[in-house]
Amino acid sequence: MMLFQAMFSPPSSPFRHSLSRCLAFCLAVSLALASAPSFAGSRILGTGGVSAIEGAAGGGLSPWAVLASTASEREIGVTAATTRAWVDDYRLTVTGASLNIYDRIEVSVARQTLDLETLGGELGQDIYGAKVRLFGDVLYHPWGIWSVGAQHKRLVDGAIPTALGADETSGTDVYLSASKLLFSAVAGRNVLLNATLRNTDANQGGLIGFGGDQGSRSWVAEGSVGIFITPQWIIGAEYRQKPDNLSVAEEHDWQSLYSAYFFNKHLSLTGAWLDLGDIAGLPSQRGGYLSLQAAF
Amino acid sequence: MIYPLKHYRTRRCLIAITFVAVAFSFAGCAHQSATQSTSTSTTLYERLGGEATIDAIVENLLYRIADDPEVVVFFANTNIDLFAESLASQLCDVSDGPCRYEGPPMDRAHQHMGLTDVHFNRLVEHLNAAMQDEDITLGARNELLGRLAPLYADIMRLQ
Repeated sequence: MMLFQAMFSPPSSPFRHSLSRCLAFCLAVSLALASAPSFAGSRILGTGGVSAIEGAAGGGLSPWAVLASTASEREIGVTAATTRAWVDDYRLTVTGASLNIYDRIEVSVARQTLDLETLGGELGQDIYGAKVRLFGDVLYHPWGIWSVGAQHKRLVDGAIPTALGADETSGTDVYLSASKLLFSAVAGRNVLLNATLRNTDANQGGLIGFGGDQGSRSWVAEGSVGIFITPQWIIGAEYRQKPDNLSVAEEHDWQSLYSAYFFNKHLSLTGAWLDLGDIAGLPSQRGGYLSLQAAF
Repeated sequence: MIYPLKHYRTRRCLIAITFVAVAFSFAGCAHQSATQSTSTSTTLYERLGGEATIDAIVENLLYRIADDPEVVVFFANTNIDLFAESLASQLCDVSDGPCRYEGPPMDRAHQHMGLTDVHFNRLVEHLNAAMQDEDITLGARNELLGRLAPLYADIMRLQ
């Protein structure tokens, strides 16, 4: 499949051309709408979450314990996603893909590009992720689903982050995540809870390098609460704690209010309102977020 | 604009506490609604529409199973009438209706069938679709599915 070759090919070439990216995604969406239900995984609609900005299955800002797509035991799932976030002085574009093997292992790749609309220029990084389901199930297990994951991040060009005081231009996050659906919890609606504990030295998720004069690795907590208004539509809030390693660029926690709609097992659209705090010296970055995911 | 660090920490802490509080109140509500439905006048059984609707759901489910080649194979040696009666009494029992499920325990009933998550999920989807066909409200559907979800461990124990 052309699309997935494009997604997994080395950075620098096809990602740069937004036209080919757009065409690839249009192709993915039309396949998603046209494909027969038999291509879908057997897990229940929505149990794969959506694509988080770092490529892993999650809610947007934070990875969740669930694995991408609806692939179950002895099934393989593939997702492709494109995401854009607009805040006051920046614009983030993410293109990513993931593979779910037997609902046990998820591997993902993502390319993030941050346009510095006020400061000029752009920052970019590639993120290679893996997540393993330790045990459980988001619906059927009394303790929900528990997973561990790692995200290896490499900056495309480390010049600006290094100038701001970052120690490294690549780094690896590790995290432990748990997700649980509470059936009929509020007004007969199902509620989804997620908690993630991450060990990281990434500044602004890695886009401004790794480590700095104020510290390096630290543990941060991330969490989300969502309510399924209908089986296809979930709204909720996410919170992501962040380290604060650079004295010249104070960093704040991220938060969002999100709404995700699952048209079917192949296509979901997520919208969100973001409050990302200060980024690289520019205060109180707020704005919108849109993400489209195709899954097979 | 300079954000005082102390102020920021307090705000961060407050947000974290709010998150935990919301999560726990959801869990509390879930517990409350589970206990309430047994004590107040309307049981889940009544909200599902009682015996007639449960029988209709079971019949609808059986037609869906019959049409699904991946699932129907597990019913090759099943007495369908007996199965329908047994499932209806189980749904009635689990929804606080005036029945007692007296069939075999779930682990023994499914032992060595070679069931996987794929089959389990498929049956959940068929049951949910059958309930939708019989116009069961979303709240009652979710609650019944929530009460059946713990059976997963029993059904999969002896695979």
